[in-house]
Amino acid sequence: MLDGLGLLFGGIAHFMTPVSLFNIAWATLLGIVIGALPGLTATMGVALLVTLTYKMAPDQAILCLMCLYSGAIYGGSRTAILLAIPGTPASAATTLDGHPLALQGKAGTAMGLATTSSAIGTVIGVIALALVAPLLAEAALRFGSYEFFWLALFGVIISGQLTAIDDPLKGYIAGILGLLVAMVGMETLHAHQRFTFGIPALGGGVDLIPAMVGAFGLAEILGVMKRTSEARIISSANDRVLPRIGEMLRYWRTTLRSGLIGTFVGIVPGVGEDVGAWASYAAAKRSSKEKALFGKGSKEGLIAAETGNSAVVPGAMIPTLTLALPGSAAAAVLIAAMFIHGIRPGPLLMTENPEFLYQIVAILLLSTLAFTVFGLFLTKPLIKVLSVPRERLMAVVYVLCVVGSFAITQRMFDIYVMLFFGVVGFILREMKYPMAPLVLGIILGDLLDLNLRRGLLLTNGDPSPFFTRPISLAICSLIVITILMSIPAVSKRVRALFDRRAGSTRA
Amino acid sequence: MDDMTQQSDGSGDAPGEALADRAALPMLRADLLAGLFFIVLGAAILYGSWTMPRLEVRRIHPMTVPGLVPGLLSIALIVCGSILAFRSWRAPAPGGWSELGRAVVSEAARRALAVIVLVLIYTLGLVGLVPFWAATAAFVFAFIVVFEIWLATVKRPWAASLLWAAGLAVTASAAVTLVFERAFLVRLP
Repeated sequence: MLDGLGLLFGGIAHFMTPVSLFNIAWATLLGIVIGALPGLTATMGVALLVTLTYKMAPDQAILCLMCLYSGAIYGGSRTAILLAIPGTPASAATTLDGHPLALQGKAGTAMGLATTSSAIGTVIGVIALALVAPLLAEAALRFGSYEFFWLALFGVIISGQLTAIDDPLKGYIAGILGLLVAMVGMETLHAHQRFTFGIPALGGGVDLIPAMVGAFGLAEILGVMKRTSEARIISSANDRVLPRIGEMLRYWRTTLRSGLIGTFVGIVPGVGEDVGAWASYAAAKRSSKEKALFGKGSKEGLIAAETGNSAVVPGAMIPTLTLALPGSAAAAVLIAAMFIHGIRPGPLLMTENPEFLYQIVAILLLSTLAFTVFGLFLTKPLIKVLSVPRERLMAVVYVLCVVGSFAITQRMFDIYVMLFFGVVGFILREMKYPMAPLVLGIILGDLLDLNLRRGLLLTNGDPSPFFTRPISLAICSLIVITILMSIPAVSKRVRALFDRRAGSTRA
Repeated sequence: MDDMTQQSDGSGDAPGEALADRAALPMLRADLLAGLFFIVLGAAILYGSWTMPRLEVRRIHPMTVPGLVPGLLSIALIVCGSILAFRSWRAPAPGGWSELGRAVVSEAARRALAVIVLVLIYTLGLVGLVPFWAATAAFVFAFIVVFEIWLATVKRPWAASLLWAAGLAVTASAAVTLVFERAFLVRLP
C-alpha cells in the first residue's frame, strides 16, 4: 500500500517538467474542443493523435493521448448543454437534463456542475484504478491460455450485448465480424497465412489504427454530413459558471453511486462512456427523491450522467493495463499506441514496468485538474468553437484521417483499409450495428485464436480444462448467462420468476 | 450480471424513441437482406476454413489447425445471420420494401453518396498522382463548394462560400503539410 503511494508520488513528480505540463495543457484543451465539436468523438481524436505522437518519447505520447481522451469525454457536455446534441456519444444522457437547464437560463450553472461532476467522477475512477489494478494484475498472473480464451470471448460478447443500439444480436454480429477481420493475415501458432488471397499487404493482417480511423473517422463524417438539418446554438450562458459547494455536496450520494457505476462499466471490456452515463443516469432516476424533475432540468440527473461518463475513463484503464483487454473503444486505440511505443500492457506490466500504472494514474489526475480549470474559466472561447460549420470542418477532418492512417507504416494499403472500414462502418451504423464490439473483435481476435489452440495443444486436443478450471468455468457460465439473458423469451421468464418471488415475500 | 443487463435495458430505450417507430419498417427489410448476406458470407468463410491447409506435413495436432477458429466463427455468423433473417422475415412490415427503397434514394443518402464520391476521387485518384498539398487543397475546396453551394442546407452567399473554400483549402493544405512534415517529422503520402 505504502509502496503504491510512493510510486504514485513518483508518477506525479515524473510529469512536473515544463514539457509535460505544456503537453498536458494543449492535449487536454484539444480534447475538450474535439469532444465539444459534434461529429468528432474521443475515439477518433485519440486515433488521429497517435500519428502526431508517433515520434515522441513513450511517456509523453501516452500522456498526450490520455489527456486528449479524458478532455474529450468532458468536452462533449458543453455541446449537450448548449446545443441539445451530444458532442460525443458519451454525453447523450447529459442532453436530457443539461439542455433544459440551459433553456431555463441556467446554462452557466449546468456547465459548472458538469465540470465539477466530471472531475469528481474521474477521481473516483482513478482511486479504483490505483487500488484494483495491482490486485487484478496479480490475480491475472495465474491466468492461463484457457482463461484468456474465455476472457477474450466474454469481452466481445458483453460488449456486443451492452453497446447494441436496439438488438443484442446485432452487437454479437458486429463482434463476430471484428473477430473474423482479425483472422486475416499470418497466425501466430504455425505461421500460416490465412485469407490473404495472394495479396502481400494482407499478410501482416489489418492494422487497428487505420481500421479505427475509418470506423470512427470517415464513418462519423458520413453520418454528420448525411443529416440535412444542422443544430445551432440555442442558448447562451450569462449566469454564474463556478458552482457553489453546497450544490455539489447536496447530491453526494448520486455522485458517489454514479462514480462507482461508471468505474464498473469502464472495467467491463469494450463497454464505454455512453453506457456508463446511461447506467448511472437510470440508477439516479430510480432512487431519486425528485424523479419528476428528471428530463426537465434536474441537476441530479446532470450530475449522474457526467460523473458516470467520466468515471469510465479510468475504469476502462483497469482491464486495459492489467489484462490487455480494452475497457472502451478509445482504450483499444491506446493499447495499439502502447505497442507502437514498446509498452506491453497485460499481467506482466506490474512486474516489468510498475511505474507505468502510477504514471497513468498521475496523468489522469493532472488532466482532470487541467479540464476543470479550462472548463470553468474558458467558457466564452469554447462556445465560439461550436459555431464552426460542419461543411468546413469535416473536409479538414478527412484529410487528417488520410494522414493518420498513412503515417504509422507509410503504406497506401492502410489508407485503403481506412476507406473500406469507413464505408462499411457507415453502412453498419445506419443499420444500427454498434462499432465498439467490431473494434474489440479486431483487437481480441488474435488473443482468442492463439489461446484456444494453444490450450488445445497443451492438453493434446482435450478441451476439458476450458470447462473444469474454476476461473474458466466461472467466465464460461457468465458468457452462457449473458447470451441466454439476451434472448427476450428467456429474460422475460427469469424476470417474472424474480418478480413473483419478490411479490410473495412482500405479501 | 443480471443487474447490468437490466440497467442497459432501462437506459437503452431513452435515445431516439420517437425515431424507432418510423424507422422500424424499412429496418426490418434491411435486416432480412443483411441476414441473408451474413449467411452467404459465413458459408464462404466456412468453405475457406474447411479447405485451408491442415499442415499434415508438419505433423501439427489436428485440433490446432489454422482453420479451426475462423471455421467456428463462421458457424456463429451463419447462426446469427439466420436468426436475424428469420426474425425479420416473420415480422409483418407492410410497405417495408418501398420504405426501404425510399430510404436508399433519400436526400440523406444522396448527401452521404456525395461524400463517398469526393473521398474516393481524392484518396484513390489524386493522392499519389499529384503532390499531397495540391490534392488536399483541391479536395477541401471541392468539399466545401459541394456542400455549401450545391447541397446547401443553410443558404449562404455564393461569393462568401467560395472565398471561405479557397482560403480554407490553402490554409489546410499548408498547415497539414508543414505541421506533419516539419514539426512532427511524419512522411505524407
